[in-house]
Amino acid sequence: MTRSLLAAGAAAALMLTGSACGLGSTGTGSEGSVSRVPELAPDQEVSIVFESYNFGQAGAWTDTFNELIAAFEKEHPNITVTAQKPQGNSANPATDTISSLQSQLTAGSPPDVVQLGFSDLDFTINELKALPLDDLVGRDAVQANFDGARHPYAPSARTLGDWEGKTYGVPFVFSTPMLYVNKKLFTEAGLDPEQPPTTWAEVRDAAQAIDRRTGKDGVYVDCLTKTAKDWCFQALVRSHGGTVISDDRTRLTFAEKPSIDVVRFMRDMVREGIMPNRTQTQAVESFARGDLGMILESSAIQGMFLQGAGDAWELGAAAMPSFEGKQAVPTNSGAALFVFAQDPAKQRAAWELIKFLTSERAYTTIATKIGYLPLRTGLVEDPGGLESWAADNPYLAPNLAQLEHLEPWVSMPGPSYLQIRDGMMQAVENAVFQGAGPAEALRSAQQEASALLPGGER
Amino acid sequence: MTIDDAVGEPRVRRLGGHLVLGVLSLACVFPVYWLYATSVRAPGDVYSLSVLPWPLSTASYADAFAKNDVLGMLLNTGVVAVFSALGQLLVALLAAYAFVAWRFPLQRLLYLMFVGTWLVPFQATMLPNYVLLSRLGLLETLAGVIVPTLCSALGVLLLREHLAGFPKELLDAARMDGRSSWSTLWLVVVPALRPALAALGILLAITAWNEYFWPAMVLQRSNAVVQLGLRSFMGTEGNDWGPLMATAGLACLPVLVLYLVLQRHIVNAFVRSGLK
Repeated sequence: MTRSLLAAGAAAALMLTGSACGLGSTGTGSEGSVSRVPELAPDQEVSIVFESYNFGQAGAWTDTFNELIAAFEKEHPNITVTAQKPQGNSANPATDTISSLQSQLTAGSPPDVVQLGFSDLDFTINELKALPLDDLVGRDAVQANFDGARHPYAPSARTLGDWEGKTYGVPFVFSTPMLYVNKKLFTEAGLDPEQPPTTWAEVRDAAQAIDRRTGKDGVYVDCLTKTAKDWCFQALVRSHGGTVISDDRTRLTFAEKPSIDVVRFMRDMVREGIMPNRTQTQAVESFARGDLGMILESSAIQGMFLQGAGDAWELGAAAMPSFEGKQAVPTNSGAALFVFAQDPAKQRAAWELIKFLTSERAYTTIATKIGYLPLRTGLVEDPGGLESWAADNPYLAPNLAQLEHLEPWVSMPGPSYLQIRDGMMQAVENAVFQGAGPAEALRSAQQEASALLPGGER
Repeated sequence: MTIDDAVGEPRVRRLGGHLVLGVLSLACVFPVYWLYATSVRAPGDVYSLSVLPWPLSTASYADAFAKNDVLGMLLNTGVVAVFSALGQLLVALLAAYAFVAWRFPLQRLLYLMFVGTWLVPFQATMLPNYVLLSRLGLLETLAGVIVPTLCSALGVLLLREHLAGFPKELLDAARMDGRSSWSTLWLVVVPALRPALAALGILLAITAWNEYFWPAMVLQRSNAVVQLGLRSFMGTEGNDWGPLMATAGLACLPVLVLYLVLQRHIVNAFVRSGLK
């Protein structure tokens, strides 16, 4: 009797707390082609929601974006924009973007414009069904936006949100991997701070010198842990002539010789004691404190390094180093703007917002106030644009120069793309920092991850 | 002659015990000290590892106030904590009174259902709750943060246990005096339960003050409560430690003050609930 009462009580309690079943599916976006949306009538009132992880960070990020939204609303008095950050509880709101969008799609009310990372590109388009802008507003309008009023997008940037020949996302903000150096430690180690290393062999020599002569750590490469994600690991592998996935996206290739060699090289620096065995946060803060000679890091972190340096030491920056005799191939981290609006009027308003946020005017504001790279690179030579800002920013030149050889951060395919990516990076981390054999770790991770590819055996 | 000497416990052992306790308390206090120490470092020293922050600076506090409406957040969090705790107390009091004062059909089953909700993890209920709030139009409001917390199984359980030990004769006497059950509750039961209600109220208010996950779900467009405000100093471009620690320090203050003033009640609350 007691047992049946208990069972009935438990069952009823479950009913009381509501049923979560049936809420797990995603992909309420449109299938196939989307019809062209008409222009808005001048007096047609529309309100849209813009979701961006930039609103999750107080200070310059939120303030700058609020300023831009206010300017947009002034220019388009009939469109009201509500800004929001992704929902979720991660310390870094940028990691909540996809789950936030999924839960809002489930509730039937996705935000109309969403800022999503390039690592999620395949999933965003094929599973969450972001709308193809080429169909929505016409390919000519999309290309005209890339061409801009005066300054076009950098050629390598304009196709980053494309999928099978159509543009789905307009690349918005991104950064590239840069080699930041502590000029004070370089001088103390007898190195020339104005000639930072250009190859990985030189990085290793410089790190040894710093370690030996100053007692501080030599170098940290923030591309080798699960937390770092895979964007700059992909850059390292491609700089060494390899890939992490085949061009037709059916086969993983991160356990082939170029990747193994990269992982082995990095592992050896850890073994030698010139690369500290640290987490991402520890390493970034150690560099900001002045206790680390060099760090390969996203240009987005630069502000934090400058704050840490203060008057205590001087920050220097160089392009991502290359492997001997090969061209360095940087990749981009960052995000593009996608449309998920379901109503035609909102879809048109969403496109108007995207055009505004990627305009010359918006990039000028974003670059000067937040420090992001302007994707309309001509702005840095425009006296009415960012010329004076660029002149005051000595770290910009190597960053812009890298755009020439930039290749996209390739997203992994299928619904299990995050497990594939994380499995690969866990293997890299285990090999570099935890003593696992590089070839064995990568091969076993690749074998496991291959089963997660679409059509893979599970 | 002390009792210890009488039972022959060696002095060294007592000293050892105190030493262990001292080290443990230092380990507990140190992170809190580090929080306040970082919050008063000059912006350029935020990454410094020196134990004593010098020179002292209020720049991080000024920065936090400039970037976020810290006072507004503290006020909102206070409102959430107070209403959430009062609401839970009221629901728990009424439910516990009903379970103890009357005999009715399915009583045991209903009680088990209350207790059963305690066993269902928050993660299982959060999506249905979210969808419900969305339909009620309560997303992005403080009410949306408070309402789903109003029924506390813990509160019902604790108050029912307390009331079970309440002398039935008093209830009967009140009834014979012609009191309605409503006035019996407020004039006879509540005064006798005051210590338990105070202890439980404090416990619930502190829990609501510290709550992070649920407000993060409901309040997507603002950082209306202070625990969300803290997160706004962390992000893709690194963590802004100075204002983050300054805001965290301010968020801890009300709880610390409450603790200092009501230390005995709070310890009681934890002991009574069997939680920590």
